[in-house]
Amino acid sequence: MSYTDEEISRAARGLRREWESPQLWPRIRTSLAAEAARVERRRALFRAPAGMTAAAAAAVLALALTAVLRLRPPPAGIPPAEAQRRLLSENALRDVERTEADYVRSIEALARTAEPRVEEADSPLMMSYREKLLLLDGAIAECRARIDRNRFNARLRRELLSLYQQKERTLQQVVKEDAHAL
Amino acid sequence: MPDGDEVVSAADPDLVEGCRRGELSAFEELYRSHGTRMKSLAYNILGSAADAEDAVQEAFLRVYRGMAAFKGTARLSTWMYRILVNACHDIGRQRRRRRDETGLVPEEQMPPAAAHAPADAPLRVALEKALAALRPRHRDVFLLFEVEGFRHREIAEILDIAEGTSKALLFEARRELQSALGAPRGRT
Repeated sequence: MSYTDEEISRAARGLRREWESPQLWPRIRTSLAAEAARVERRRALFRAPAGMTAAAAAAVLALALTAVLRLRPPPAGIPPAEAQRRLLSENALRDVERTEADYVRSIEALARTAEPRVEEADSPLMMSYREKLLLLDGAIAECRARIDRNRFNARLRRELLSLYQQKERTLQQVVKEDAHAL
Repeated sequence: MPDGDEVVSAADPDLVEGCRRGELSAFEELYRSHGTRMKSLAYNILGSAADAEDAVQEAFLRVYRGMAAFKGTARLSTWMYRILVNACHDIGRQRRRRRDETGLVPEEQMPPAAAHAPADAPLRVALEKALAALRPRHRDVFLLFEVEGFRHREIAEILDIAEGTSKALLFEARRELQSALGAPRGRT
């Protein structure tokens, strides 16, 4: 004859565990505060309203950057390789910044669609997308901070464009995954 | 079977709003109300006090991140326990993967003080072992109902299953446990 349900229930109640963990709430509080800071950094990056589609804007930005780097003749006496690395002129920089702002607005529109889905979902795939987006946002913030210190640096602008493109692709994958899940 | 009030009471609307606004004091209140039960549940799923605390921390982080999307169709606390159970399973998978890769078996990490009834000790130890062999869904339902005292309606919300499914899973879990535990000494 086996144990009765009542015997098993009584033993199960003994499995309830209680122990002090004075460091747990401070740990949780620290992780929540760090998350709040990350979210604030992301919001600060994407405050502008939505514009053209992300893909089109990326293409325009890439073209603008390429045109600035390739079509403008290098100053006399500077070798072409060196010219690639030269600082952008003020006019060209304005073109790039304007196009970049359009691109950022378009990614923000995509993010508004995709991010709630990422935040809501608990699947390992969505969690990995969330982590990737956080990493990319961190890298973008860092790159922008470096650009703020040297607005004419074309290499940093290209790096930033590449990061935005990765973010765009990730957001598109999120939207696609979510559509598959429905 | 627990006969008292439901474990998760309807959350104070101010508390929900506070959490939505990301106020740490609101999350602290949630922790004060549910932290102990969350740790216990996580411990019984993961079998380690350290992993249980990691799971509770991860659950709070996920609640914080997902708060904007919380629609209020479920109660905040049941939604939080759902996130905790998912976090436990994710952490359990990570730990198993690491164990498979390294071949190291972690020592059991008991919490410093456990609420045990000494008279039940042999059966309790056998029950712990038998529970570990149950399928995860069966184990979750058993732990939530028998150990933590949730009602089927609450378990249904937490595990996103029908109330009838919760009852059926508990029934199967008990039968499987009875079979695994065998007959008590002196009883045939």
